[in-house]
Amino acid sequence: MSSGEFTAPAGIDGAASDAAPTPRQGRTFAGHVPGEVGVWVLILGDMTVFALFFGVFMHYRDHAPALFRHSQATLNQTFGAVNTLLLLTSSLFVVLGVSAVRKRMRTVAPKLFLLALCCGLAFSVIKVLEYSAKARHGIGLNTNDFYMYYFILTGIHFFHLIIGMGVLVFLWRLSLKPDVGTKQIQYLEAGASYWHMVDLLWIVLFPLIYLVK
Amino acid sequence: MNRKAQMVCLWSAPAFMIVFLIGFLIAGLLPPPSPHSSAIKIAHFYANHTNAIRLGLLVMLLAGAMSVPFNCLIGVHLKRIEGRSHVLAYTVVAMGAVNCILICMPVMIMTAAAFRPLRDPNLTQTLNDLAWIPFVMVFPPAVIQNLCIAFATFTDGSRKPVFPRWVAYFNLWCSFLFLPAGLLTFFKTGPFAWNGLLSFWVALTVFGSWYFVMFYALREAIKSQAADEAAGAEPATERVVPPVTAVPQHA
Repeated sequence: MSSGEFTAPAGIDGAASDAAPTPRQGRTFAGHVPGEVGVWVLILGDMTVFALFFGVFMHYRDHAPALFRHSQATLNQTFGAVNTLLLLTSSLFVVLGVSAVRKRMRTVAPKLFLLALCCGLAFSVIKVLEYSAKARHGIGLNTNDFYMYYFILTGIHFFHLIIGMGVLVFLWRLSLKPDVGTKQIQYLEAGASYWHMVDLLWIVLFPLIYLVK
Repeated sequence: MNRKAQMVCLWSAPAFMIVFLIGFLIAGLLPPPSPHSSAIKIAHFYANHTNAIRLGLLVMLLAGAMSVPFNCLIGVHLKRIEGRSHVLAYTVVAMGAVNCILICMPVMIMTAAAFRPLRDPNLTQTLNDLAWIPFVMVFPPAVIQNLCIAFATFTDGSRKPVFPRWVAYFNLWCSFLFLPAGLLTFFKTGPFAWNGLLSFWVALTVFGSWYFVMFYALREAIKSQAADEAAGAEPATERVVPPVTAVPQHA
């Protein structure tokens, strides 16, 4: 884990695959897996479950299209759109942050992760505003089927985002370290992949719940 | 290391699953009764299949205790990772004990419901609620176990880690999937009700797959531990053990 192990600043893809660790046991992987193979068990597994959530949502939507359409019209699409932009921006910051660490730009990298974290915080503030506006109008989990899915699906996503912010804090602390070895790069990529998943899930969730007519 | 004892604990997991499932089927609890059912309907269920329910529940109760050795086996291997401090191992073992109680308690409440099935249907419905709600909603101890296993595996710094890292990520995934079960408190119908797709069927599938994955991971861990001990120097404990155990045995 000494700095000597970390051969070259791996900015380009070819060098990045040098940084890929050799799996400790079993088969060897020819290509570069971002982070490590294990994190994809979590990410793909989680995305499968969200796919199931979305399927269930579509199924119940088919049973009461008018109710879903009417209730959907009451959602604040501006909040949803701003949140989409915030998450996309935060993902960009994370990408830049990881490559800054690779290029050993030690002053820039932590700032980029903090900016990504700020986007996550802004998303949270908007989410809380959105939920409390609904609560003020007396709309809750049990109002009807649409709101049930709205609250639960966005709520579970929000929960993922909060954990993701913890991950970003971890990435930020990693980027502050003077020595970055292959292990650290691996953690950075794994954490970044998780954050991109949070972003990706929202990109599906937003049109599905807020927009699709 | 006592490999035989470890193997018994390992195989207690599939035994637990199979016996539990058999009990579940005998009692006719699969699929679960809807939380939306009327008191009369619930009372009918207990009154019509009384003895099958009683027998099935008895089998489930037997199975419930069988989950403990497997949880302790996980604890033993977390101990190997942790070295001198064993907090995560102890937490897993304690949560395993809690899980056992949380499995057995609803079974016994259902037994009470089936004990006098001709009572006031409202009372039977109350007992039925009292059993099914904790039965499906038991996620927190399991989540803590998942997090302990993940945390220990992530911090395993040895050259030959006890568990591969994907096991840690898999446990994190399981912990996410146990959470929707908590939502059953809000609903009597739909996917988040106690008989719903997401709180019951998904959680049950995840619960089952967690046992499969941990069974595989532990089998590998036992093998590698045995190989290590055969290859390396005899561990200090094994050399010390014979004289120490000899004294109380013959005393």
